[in-house]
Amino acid sequence: MTSIHVITRNNRAGYTEVLEEYFRLRHDVFVEERGWRDLARPDGREVDAYDDDHATYLIALDGGRVIGGLRLYPTLRPHMISQSFPHLVRDGRILRGPTVLECTRYFIVRERRMGRADCRLLAAFQEFCLEEGITEVTAVVEMWWLPRWHQAGFKVRPLGLPTQVEDQPCIAAAIRISEESLHQVRRLAGLRGPCLLREASPLRKVPHVAA
Amino acid sequence: MSGRRLDHTAEAFAFIEELDRLASPQEIIDAMERSFARFGFENFIMTGLPHPDQRIESLVLLKKWPLGWYQRYTRSGYDRYDPVIRLCRQTVQPFEWSEARYDPEANPKAALVMHEAAEFGMRQGYCLPVHGLNGFEACLSMGGSSPDLTPRTKPALHLMAMYAFERARLILAPSPRPNPLTPREREALRWAALGKSAADTGEILGVTERTITAHIASACQKLSAANKTQAVAKALQHRLIEM
Repeated sequence: MTSIHVITRNNRAGYTEVLEEYFRLRHDVFVEERGWRDLARPDGREVDAYDDDHATYLIALDGGRVIGGLRLYPTLRPHMISQSFPHLVRDGRILRGPTVLECTRYFIVRERRMGRADCRLLAAFQEFCLEEGITEVTAVVEMWWLPRWHQAGFKVRPLGLPTQVEDQPCIAAAIRISEESLHQVRRLAGLRGPCLLREASPLRKVPHVAA
Repeated sequence: MSGRRLDHTAEAFAFIEELDRLASPQEIIDAMERSFARFGFENFIMTGLPHPDQRIESLVLLKKWPLGWYQRYTRSGYDRYDPVIRLCRQTVQPFEWSEARYDPEANPKAALVMHEAAEFGMRQGYCLPVHGLNGFEACLSMGGSSPDLTPRTKPALHLMAMYAFERARLILAPSPRPNPLTPREREALRWAALGKSAADTGEILGVTERTITAHIASACQKLSAANKTQAVAKALQHRLIEM
């Protein structure tokens, strides 16, 4: 059974190995599979300037293995849209605020893409943001994500026209956080209740980490 | 940035805003007709992609196609040969119809479809595939005699198409159909999916093998399945049972 763990600077010490696996998988997915060569690193860990104390990770774990994850980052700090993709935003009006986060590095490992892992991670995403009082989350994604988000019940507004990034039409967009969206994506995920785990000290409950 | 590019951006955003206010399929068709006409597209169709046992008519969400062409296309099952549909299944990226390659020698019917579409004024086109969650496949395909298809117009069309699709899907989405299977039928199929025979399942549930066989047969009938294997596959595919 997949559970989604919230990892912040407060509990990351207990998730060292989980985060290492997540960074390695990011390299597999974004560099090897999608071909974003700029992110390639000799140690095979895809880590950037936003993997700092301000980042929050939602990591999908199944049987102690990382099967997917995403990163949330405050938009009041320099973030990926403001630093790397301001040209994707119409008239340069970057959406930022205390209740706006940016989502980056979303993925589900290849062998779990046919199932409901995507929906579960998206449900955990809405659930986490609702609990934290977040109103909108911005992201730059390939255009093929739009209909998937729509189908998951997400209300998404475009922040600019699609623009080629690494030869793919990509878009900057803002996802509205809402109970309705959480309800809809939970239904798709086959979830009846919360799937988010917040552990102060995860060592005892995640054997893979303790081993 | 040229003024023309700005116009496309404004056009796309105005269209998306307008969509939110539309409540009926006809209003969406009218809005698409107006907006896409500015890019030189006279015709469009928004449809799910049929499985081998489905007819495309049952999956069409919206259309503005010449009536004669639509009738010919659906009656003759042209979607089976249409190179645009074929490419649409293989890519998530938008493409021009001319990019949907086929070998006219090996595939004369594909050539026929494209040739006849041109006779109805649909000489060029742009197809925007939709690949959703759980294997959902659809597209918005638009055609015209000489549309304005350039690297400047395509991003606007792409965005407009995805939002038009979403609006149509929301308005037309049938309310979720109740599960046609009874709890006993679902249980029998779940055990079958785990590899249990009717006899095993009967033992587990404390009923006779014959009862289980009857449940399975009834499920097969409801799902139009030829046998237990197909019934399990269909039930899983349509999420009528969960593992």
